[in-house]
Amino acid sequence: MVLADLGSRVAVALRKMAQAPLVDKDVLNEMLTEICKALLQADVNVAQVKHLRESIKKNVDVESLASGMNKRKMLEQAVCNELCSMLDPGKEPYAPKKKQANVIMFVGLQGAGKTTTCTKYAYMHKRKGFKCALVCADTFRAGAFDQLKQNATKAKIPFYGSYTETDPAQIAAEGTAKFREEGYEIIIVDTSGRHMQEAALFEEMQQVSDAVAPDEVIFVMDSSIGQAAHEQASAFKKKVAVGSVIITKLDGHAKGGGALSAVAATGAPITHIGTGEHVEDFEDFEVKSFVSRMLGKGNIAGLAPE
Amino acid sequence: MSKLVGGGPVTAEAMAPVLKALLDRLVEKNVAQEVGAKVIDAVGASLVGASLPTFGSLASTVKAAMAEAFGRVLTSPREAADLLHDVSTARGGKRPYVVVFVGVNGVGKSTSLSKVAYYIKSNGFVPLLCACDTFRSGAVEQLRVHAQALDVPLFQKGYGNDAAQIAADGIAHAQAMGATRRLAMGYDAVLVDTAGRMQDNEPLMRALAKLVHVNSPDLVLFVGEALAGNDAVTGFNASLAQYAGGKAPRLIDGVILTKFDTINDKVGAALNLVYTTGKPVVFVGVGQTYEDIRNLNVEHVVRALTG
Ligand SMILES: Nc1nc2c(ncn2[C@@H]2O[C@H](COP(=O)(O)OP(=O)(O)OP(=O)(O)O)[C@@H](O)[C@H]2O)c(=O)[nH]1
Ligand SMILES: Nc1nc2c(ncn2[C@@H]2O[C@H](COP(=O)(O)OP(=O)(O)OP(=O)(O)O)[C@@H](O)[C@H]2O)c(=O)[nH]1
Ligand SMILES: [Mg+2]
Ligand SMILES: [Mg+2]
Repeated sequence: MVLADLGSRVAVALRKMAQAPLVDKDVLNEMLTEICKALLQADVNVAQVKHLRESIKKNVDVESLASGMNKRKMLEQAVCNELCSMLDPGKEPYAPKKKQANVIMFVGLQGAGKTTTCTKYAYMHKRKGFKCALVCADTFRAGAFDQLKQNATKAKIPFYGSYTETDPAQIAAEGTAKFREEGYEIIIVDTSGRHMQEAALFEEMQQVSDAVAPDEVIFVMDSSIGQAAHEQASAFKKKVAVGSVIITKLDGHAKGGGALSAVAATGAPITHIGTGEHVEDFEDFEVKSFVSRMLGKGNIAGLAPE
Repeated sequence: MSKLVGGGPVTAEAMAPVLKALLDRLVEKNVAQEVGAKVIDAVGASLVGASLPTFGSLASTVKAAMAEAFGRVLTSPREAADLLHDVSTARGGKRPYVVVFVGVNGVGKSTSLSKVAYYIKSNGFVPLLCACDTFRSGAVEQLRVHAQALDVPLFQKGYGNDAAQIAADGIAHAQAMGATRRLAMGYDAVLVDTAGRMQDNEPLMRALAKLVHVNSPDLVLFVGEALAGNDAVTGFNASLAQYAGGKAPRLIDGVILTKFDTINDKVGAALNLVYTTGKPVVFVGVGQTYEDIRNLNVEHVVRALTG
């Protein structure tokens, strides 16, 4: 699993600390150094790693802590808490409501997995009893409409798009209006990939957003992204109202750390993860269980905060 | 750190904090921690005992040595493939030059392939696009759009079929076209698109290895994103070697580094890829139009890394 390397290295650092005859400042520092190195190697944002280190140092006063087991437990807990808070912006994600139209717009960098994830998201919600539809507002990428169409057809989800219209805002507006009228509950708008360096593309994203007035904007991020994650995610957030994040391709060998920066950058929670190319390769995301799974549940059970 | 310490010999102790700070900077630039540490350690070791120039700071000396080391890494792969020359040679031998594009999902394989087609065509050759991503929805149509826009031929057999066989058929088709037409009118290159896959997905890596080993392409290009923090390339090479099917393993010959326009100065992926493969960056993708393809500007990368 992704972040498994990171998890086991953090677990090793914790165990090493637990084995030290006396846990003092030096032992704490050594543990933090190990953990921070592991985080950096997993592509976690440099500033976030610094923050984690300082925060633990500030919150845990090793010298004054009671000795023995408790001290170690407290330190383990502190590390776990920091990892959780790195992943948890403390905000509830948007929950689509039945018997009304929920327009959900997908945005993200080129090739992140938006189009694939749109269908996965629709498919998951369809199985939960929502009436779902897809709108292809990507008029740029070659074959974009065929891709969405073929995915939607396989998953038996209605779709809307055009081979000739070149204005994505226009198609998005038409598609959402049509599906609203027909009483669809979740209307998903797929958009082209874009990046912060190209202002015209960001402008276009805003136009699509203005045209459909989405109830939710989902930022899709590839788990293999490295140190550029933070600035890209922040830039998207500045332009449109990103409300939640989906991390894709977690079935790969990605170190995953860069994508985690998306949380800090957008202040939006991760709601789902993509774990493969097929429509059912999609899971709900829950911070605490993810972190305890990452740290290898077996080794340090019950570590995740209650 | 930057105070003048001119004159005396450099000690490992004096250098340690300088090296540490530089490594942090490199990681921020998306250099893989392990790669950065190795290069920096080597630089550090090479400087111990050297005497500083009278008016230089330790930091600037280390930095200069580091820039030199990066330059060496990036330019060390020999035979940076000269694509046009090789296509032309193949044409002389009356056979098409075959390039296979491989990589993980969504990195820009198909787009890069169409950029290379444009480049080849602009130089007077005829490339045939060969649609061997028979899995991802819309993959065939995507190539068809490119073929039409570029006015180049497309070879495709739809979805669900054996990719290795389609590549073989595409190459045979190009060969036949070369034989039937006047030479200059034949297909000079076959550009084989493949489905994205994760390097630890065994069945998919097996299928890719088969495609490569059955067809013995002239060039296997690994397409990797400048955005990526990790690099899957090691896993691709390992799989190509492991599933060679008894033949001499055919590994990656070069790299296309895509989405270079999305990373500002975080250029570390260039170093990571070259360092781990020892293969050249053949092209850099700098945007989403056909013209957005460049050679790697080593000086630019070194400047960004040390700046
Ligand atoms: N292995 C794996 N592949 C995925 C996952 N999600 C998406 N992909 C693949 O990633 C590639 C890119 O996905 P797309 O959905 O086309 O990405 P996109 O963001 O719509 O791309 P653009 O529209 O070009 O910006 C495709 O090959 C998908 O099959 C995942 O969770 N795991
Ligand atoms: N900004 C930028 N975008 C790029 C570049 N190269 C490719 N892209 C975009 O990245 C996205 C994915 O490109 P594709 O060529 O479909 O990627 P792929 O590797 O073939 O994807 P799969 O076949 O699904 O694995 C598209 O939106 C491209 O326009 C580049 O150099 N810069
Ligand atoms: Mg798309
Ligand atoms: Mg492709």
